[in-house]
Amino acid sequence: MLLIHCPYCGEARSELEFAGAGEAHIARPENITEVSDEDFAQYFFMRTNPKGIHYERWRHIHGCGRFFNAVRDTVSDRFLKTYKTGEPKPDRAEFEGEGR
Amino acid sequence: MRKYSVFALAREAMRHHSGWEKHWTSPEPKSEYDVIIIGGGGHGMGAAYYLAKEHGITNIAVIEKGWIGGGNTGRNTTIVRSNYLYDESMDIYEHSLKLWEGLALDLNYNVMYSPRGVMMLSHNEHDRQTFKRHVHANRLYGIDNEWLTPEAAKEYCPPLDIAATARYPINGAALQRRAGTARHDAVVWGYGRAASDRGIHIIQNCEVKGIRRGPDGAVSGVETSKGFIGAKKIGVSASGHNSVVMAMADVSLPLESQPLQALVSEPLKPIFPCVVMSNTVHAYISQSDKGELVIGAGTDQYNSYSQTGGLQIVTHTLDAICELFPIFRRVKMMRQWGGITDNTPDRSPIQSITPVPGLFVNCGWGTGGFKATPGSAHLFAHLIAKGEPHKLAAGLTLDRYRTGRLIDEAAAAAVAH
Amino acid sequence: MVEELVATRTTPLSGTYGGSGLARLVIAGDATRLSVRAGEEALGALSGALDIELPRAPLSASVTDGGYAFWLGPDEWLVINEHGEEMIPRLQGIEAPFSAVDVSHRNVAVTVVGPGAAAAINAACPQDLRPDRFPVGKVVRTVLGKAEIVLFRKEENTFRIECWRSFAPYVFGLLDQAAKDTAY
Ligand SMILES: Cc1cc2nc3c(=O)[nH]c(=O)nc-3n(C[C@H](O)[C@H](O)[C@H](O)COP(=O)(O)OP(=O)(O)OC[C@H]3O[C@@H](n4cnc5c(N)ncnc54)[C@H](O)[C@@H]3O)c2cc1C
Repeated sequence: MLLIHCPYCGEARSELEFAGAGEAHIARPENITEVSDEDFAQYFFMRTNPKGIHYERWRHIHGCGRFFNAVRDTVSDRFLKTYKTGEPKPDRAEFEGEGR
Repeated sequence: MRKYSVFALAREAMRHHSGWEKHWTSPEPKSEYDVIIIGGGGHGMGAAYYLAKEHGITNIAVIEKGWIGGGNTGRNTTIVRSNYLYDESMDIYEHSLKLWEGLALDLNYNVMYSPRGVMMLSHNEHDRQTFKRHVHANRLYGIDNEWLTPEAAKEYCPPLDIAATARYPINGAALQRRAGTARHDAVVWGYGRAASDRGIHIIQNCEVKGIRRGPDGAVSGVETSKGFIGAKKIGVSASGHNSVVMAMADVSLPLESQPLQALVSEPLKPIFPCVVMSNTVHAYISQSDKGELVIGAGTDQYNSYSQTGGLQIVTHTLDAICELFPIFRRVKMMRQWGGITDNTPDRSPIQSITPVPGLFVNCGWGTGGFKATPGSAHLFAHLIAKGEPHKLAAGLTLDRYRTGRLIDEAAAAAVAH
Repeated sequence: MVEELVATRTTPLSGTYGGSGLARLVIAGDATRLSVRAGEEALGALSGALDIELPRAPLSASVTDGGYAFWLGPDEWLVINEHGEEMIPRLQGIEAPFSAVDVSHRNVAVTVVGPGAAAAINAACPQDLRPDRFPVGKVVRTVLGKAEIVLFRKEENTFRIECWRSFAPYVFGLLDQAAKDTAY
C-alpha cells in the first residue's frame, strides 16, 4: 500500500483515502468539435504508460476531496513529488539520478 | 522430436527416465529472420507455432527477455471461457475455446485443459438481468451458457451457500459447462516444444531494447541485449510491456499497465469442483489439481511495472471469499504474486497492423487473455503472415479508437478474467 | 374527530452504548450540521454569521461551547451545533458566493472515550494517532473500514467520529468489536 503526500492536507496519508485518476497534464483540446478523429483518439485514448517517471493525477477522495498531481516511478512505485493542480509540470531532470 | 505416448512412458519407466529429450533447443540468434516475435508468453510462442504450421514460415525467432512463460502466462489463474457479451469478443474467445479442446492432441502435449465449468454468481436483480442477457446473447450466437436456479447451482457446486440469510444471497447463476481451466505454463511449453521442432528459434534471456527501421520507415530488426538481429516483420506480444516496446518504434497505444494479483492456499483434498466467479463481490476461486485454492484479486489503481500489488487488494479479495465461502475461513494462504497487465479503455484486446510497415501488435489482453492464448496466437499468426486481420479479429484493430467502434466488455462484465 | 399524528425523528442507534472499559462508545446527541463550501472572500462573513471561525489551516478545527467547525478541504467545512440551533437562516444576506447545505440528519456521531480509544479506532482506520502526529484539536476526513468518516480528537482520549447515517450500524459494530478487542 502506498503512502501519498497530499499537497493540500500537507501530510502523507494511506492510499486507502485516494483514488488514482490516470495520466496528468493531458490538455483537452479547446476546439474539441473541430479536431480530427485522429487527434481526438490521441487525446482521449492514447497514454504514455512509461516504465519509470510517470506524471499522474490523484484525488484525495476520502480526505480533502482535491485532485492533485504527482510524479512517481512506476518501477519502484516511489513518489518523487506531489503538487497542487495548476502548478507547472516539474521538469523530469529534477528527478533523474535520484535514488529510486 | 520424439512423440509422447503411453509407449514412451512405459519405455522410459524401464530405463530410469534417461531418454527424455529437452523440450526445445536454445540456439544462438542468427543475424536475420523472416519474422521476430517479441515476447515468449503463450500468445507469442503460439503465434510462432501457427506461423510455421499454417503459413509455412519457419525462419522465426521468439525473443524473450526472461524465461518463456515467466510473464502473465505463468502468473495467471487460468480461467478459460467464452461467454462474453459482444460479437467481436465471442468470435475470438469461442475460436480459442475450440482450439483449447483439441490443443493437447495438436501439440502432443498435455496442457491439462479441464472443462469443469465456470459459474458466475448472481446476487441481485441487476446481476440476474445482466447474466440472462449474456446467456441469451451467447446462445443466439451458438455458444453454450445457461441460467441455473440457486438449487441447481448448489448441486453443481456443493460448497455454495444458497441460504437466504447468507451475507451475499444467491438468486441464480450463469454456467458455461465447456469453460474451465488449463495448466498455465504447460501451454507455453507445449507451443515452445512444437515450435522448436519446426525449426523456430527460442531465444531466452534476451531483452529487446530498440526497434530499428530502414530508410522507407519499415522495420529492419531489433536491438537486443545479444546484439542486433534483423527481421522483415516483427510481431510484438509483450504483455505488460507493450507500451514500452512499441514506444521504441514511436507508436503510442491506449494502454495502462497495472499490477494484478493472485494467491493460492495450502493444498486441500478435492472440495471445489468448478470455477466460481462473483462480479458483485469481486472474487473468484477454483481448485488446482495440486489441491490449492486458486484465488484471483483485482488490479491496483495506479500504473506500475513493479510486479507487486498492494496488500489491501488481496485482503479485500479474501474478505469477499470468506463471505462467499465461510468454510474457507481457516484455510491458510501460501503464496501471493502479481503480474503486469496492460489494460485498454474498453477492456478488449488489440490485434493490429501499426503505422510502421512490418510491425504488428497483439496487446491489451489485460486481466483476461490466458483463455485467448490459442485463438489469439492463431489469429495473430494470420495477421503477420497476410498483413491483414483474419475476419474473426477484424474488430480488434487499433483503428477502433479513431472510429469509436469500441468493444466495451468492461461495461458489460465489470471483471474480465 | 381527526386524530393528530406526530412523527418523531429517531437517529440510527440513538441511545446505544457499547465498547469496553478501555474504549467506551457513546452515540452523540442530535445536532444541527452544515456542509459549507466557500472561497476565501466569503469566510469572514460566514464565520461571523455562524458565530464560529471557519479555520483556514488544513486539518484544524474551531471549537466553541457546543459548536465545531471542521476544516475538511481547502474550500470545505463541516459545522456542527450541538444546541440544535438552525444555522441556515443566519446566512441570509451574505454577498460573496458560498454554498451551505443542512446535513443535520445525514450524519451520526459516535464518541469514543478512554485510554484504548486510539487503539480501537486504529483497528480499522489508517491514521497515525500518536499524540505528536494527531494532537488534540486535529480533524481529518478519512476511512474506517469501508466507510468514510470525519475523525476529530477532542481530548487526548476522546474522539468524535462523524459518519453517514446509513453506515452507522457498520461503523458502530466495527468500533464495538475493536473496543472489546483492545480490552484484552
Ligand atoms: C494474476 C493474474 C491472473 C490472471 N487470470 C487470468 C484468468 O483467470 N484467465 C485469463 O484468461 N487470463 C488471466 N490473466 C491474464 C493473462 O495472464 C494474460 O492476458 C495472458 O497470459 C497474456 O499472455 P501473453 O502471452 O500475451 O503475455 P506474457 O505471458 O506476459 O508474455 C509476454 C512476454 O513478453 C516478455 N517481454 C516483455 N518485454 C520484453 C522485451 N523488451 N524483450 C523481450 N521480451 C519481453 C515478458 O518477459 C513476457 O514473458 C491473469 C493475469 C494475471 C497477472
